[in-house]
Amino acid sequence: MSLVTELILSADSEARYPAPKEIRIFQDFVRTGDQRIRIAGILAENEQRIVDNASAKFWERCPVTPSNSGNPRKTASCQRDQGWYVRLVAYSILAGSEKPLAEIGTVGIKEMYNSLEIPLRNLVEAMRCVKDEAVSLLSPEDAVEVAPYFDYIIRALS
Amino acid sequence: MTMAHTNSSIHPQQYHSLSTAVLTQAEQQDRWLTGSELKAFSDFFSSGSKRLAVVEKLGQQSQVIISAAADRIFYNGSAMAYLPSPPNRENLPGYTLPPRQSAARPKERLKLQIPSYGNPLRGLLETLKNQFSSDREPLPSGFRPINIQRYGKARMQRSMRDLDWFLRYIIYAIAAGDCSIITINVRGLRGVIPEDVTEATVLSIQEMRWRALQYFKGDAEAIQLICEPFDVMIAQYRVEKPPMQPRPGVSSEQQGLQLPESYRLTQPRFVMQSLLAETEKQAVIRAAYRQVFERDITQEYGLALTDLESRYRSSEFSTQEFVRQLGHSRLYRDLFYEPFSISRMIELAVRHFLGRGIYSLSEFQTYFERVSEEGLKSFVNMLVDSAEYAEYFGEATVPYLRGLGQEAQQCRNWSAQLNLFKPKASTQKHPEFVTQFSSQQPNQHVYGAGNDCLEIQFGAIFPSQGGVATQPTADHRRILIGCQPDQASGWGKVPGAPSEVIRLSARPQKMEQGGSIDLRHHSAEAVIQAAYRQILGREPFSGQRLTPAEAKLKSGEITLREFVRRLAKSQPFRELYWDSLYITKAIEYIHRRLIGRPTYGRAEMGRYYDICAKQGFYGLIDALVDSAEYLEAFDENTLPYERYITPRGYDLRSRHHPNCSISPVSGVRVADGTWVQEAMQRNRAQTARINGHSIKPDLSNLTESLTPESPTPEPQSEPEHDEQALAVGAASY
Repeated sequence: MSLVTELILSADSEARYPAPKEIRIFQDFVRTGDQRIRIAGILAENEQRIVDNASAKFWERCPVTPSNSGNPRKTASCQRDQGWYVRLVAYSILAGSEKPLAEIGTVGIKEMYNSLEIPLRNLVEAMRCVKDEAVSLLSPEDAVEVAPYFDYIIRALS
Repeated sequence: MTMAHTNSSIHPQQYHSLSTAVLTQAEQQDRWLTGSELKAFSDFFSSGSKRLAVVEKLGQQSQVIISAAADRIFYNGSAMAYLPSPPNRENLPGYTLPPRQSAARPKERLKLQIPSYGNPLRGLLETLKNQFSSDREPLPSGFRPINIQRYGKARMQRSMRDLDWFLRYIIYAIAAGDCSIITINVRGLRGVIPEDVTEATVLSIQEMRWRALQYFKGDAEAIQLICEPFDVMIAQYRVEKPPMQPRPGVSSEQQGLQLPESYRLTQPRFVMQSLLAETEKQAVIRAAYRQVFERDITQEYGLALTDLESRYRSSEFSTQEFVRQLGHSRLYRDLFYEPFSISRMIELAVRHFLGRGIYSLSEFQTYFERVSEEGLKSFVNMLVDSAEYAEYFGEATVPYLRGLGQEAQQCRNWSAQLNLFKPKASTQKHPEFVTQFSSQQPNQHVYGAGNDCLEIQFGAIFPSQGGVATQPTADHRRILIGCQPDQASGWGKVPGAPSEVIRLSARPQKMEQGGSIDLRHHSAEAVIQAAYRQILGREPFSGQRLTPAEAKLKSGEITLREFVRRLAKSQPFRELYWDSLYITKAIEYIHRRLIGRPTYGRAEMGRYYDICAKQGFYGLIDALVDSAEYLEAFDENTLPYERYITPRGYDLRSRHHPNCSISPVSGVRVADGTWVQEAMQRNRAQTARINGHSIKPDLSNLTESLTPESPTPEPQSEPEHDEQALAVGAASY
């Protein structure tokens, strides 16, 4: 579900042509296209770095956590998840909508982590670290685009 | 670009914009976007402004484009007048007013609409201009435009609405940068829109394309953007209407036996071939297990199957033979034969081996006979060797469920069949198909079992009805069980049925030497008492006795039949069986009281309804008492008695029924009356013996009741069998 599909869906449900307002939204989306691709590219390149730096920062803040327990499997799977979220954010930025993030990433996420017995509070902290790390890589105007998606994940977790 | 759909029932079709299509693919493979995908994105963004320009222009000019398309295929009238105006949504939630800048647009649109509505000269010019433009699709030879006046208002409106829709979806597709929305909405449309306008529709779409291109002359990018969705739409629309799929082996004239192709789900069929790869063979075997055992079979189910499996894999025998062997296996017996009643087991087996539910009662009966006479193996052979199995699955195909989306379904067993195809079917123990047919058996009241009188069952308030009452045809008759007393043996006696017929003897006083019993039972007093009990159902309360009529009967002034008539017309009787009941049940009660049998069917009920409506209660009583059947069965001086009962009533009275209160020791339960009790005490031993036998019905008592007026042999009343007379009262409760 991207911004475009959303617009079409709402127009289709009312059986009308795209309204001028919708076209303006669309125009904005198109105008920021280059920026979106740029952000996605930066995130893709720096995924590993973001995750590593964020983990270091996270363990400083919260030393007692499953990923810092010395069990390499736990560490790896936690970092893999963080990498996935970075990727999902990139998808969402490209689509111009948080729907991909919601559909793939955040629906049922709480229940899943609860059943894995991972402390949600720590996870939220970890996501904050990832967000800080990602934002610090980007220029201020790009950061404005990215931050809401991370906030969306944090909201879904807490 | 669309997702690879494997099964449309699992993955509902969704249309995509370019961005979702790319993202979905990347997401499914869990990877970042590749360079080419990012390129697609950047192309989408860079062509975005052009797209939007096209979308905006076409949206503004939609009326013109549609009217051009309509003019191409319609003549003799204004087609645009039939285009429904978009509903006014201004006051609906979610509606946002268009921004100010578009305020000038309506005027412009109005101006452009003029050619299609009014100004004939301008329209003519336009037409001429259009006719001579070179890049248009030429009219196909033999195409005849449609006359608006003859086409009719409703169809015109529909056509114009469709044209509007076509254009709208094209605009959406241009905006989305992906044509899946057109594919999804247009494919199969030809099966919905009448076949004879296919050509005209295609022509009008082409005209729309041509018209739309006129706005972007010389703009190669825009032309490409516009042409792509139009071409996709025409191509999709031209796809042949999918054929109907008749059920194989049955005449296509039968109702409900065709399935439109578009409803068909593509489910893999598993066919065993010796050339298949090992993994594919494994898949076929697994499919066979799932079909026959409804589960995957692993090692722990035993070696017998492993052996079978390896022989099958080496092509030692065919799939048909393999399925047969599975049906013969110990495992099948354990899973589906032993835990179930035969009726249910048959249903499940038909599902496993033929992939369907049972079609008819007679089919079920055939299977039931086979199972009960020759056992499971023979039954499985019967199914696997059947012509139907050969026709559908043949030698090599693994049986599959021929359910929804596979084959046209008969609507007869709809719900039961759907239940049978659910995975929970094998956890359900009770049969569904047979119980479904149970209501069709001709042994209940034609207007529903609830119309029958409450049989003798103390403590029961409502009769329990199994199944739903069906509406039998007019000449439908229910089966009744005769309960003529058979004094010779005492066998076959219906419990609670009268064991003696009460007659008003013409000269009771002359038979003094016969003993007091005779006098008790056939004296006028005793007859009157019994008459109250039979007709009224109980002994009258003190104020309810028909004293004048009694006196007349004793003096011989009126016959017993006349007495019965007066009794039936009395106020207590009327209150009991007429005033408080609805008509069908009232007739049923009165009929049983006076004629001594339940009603047969609708023809008979129809006659009584007629009498009730035209002559009322007293007319009905007269009609019954004067009827030929009454005279034949009871004549002038015999008291009516219960001659037939329903099978359900028989069941309720028989000793095995939980509600039965006839204990085998005390034998009978009857209303009191001193003479009854005396007789009971004297003959208790004998009565007990007789009633002990009485649970076995005699087949000769089961009348098919094909002739309601058939004379029933009038039982001889013999004074020696007085001891059984005590059941007379019981029968009438």
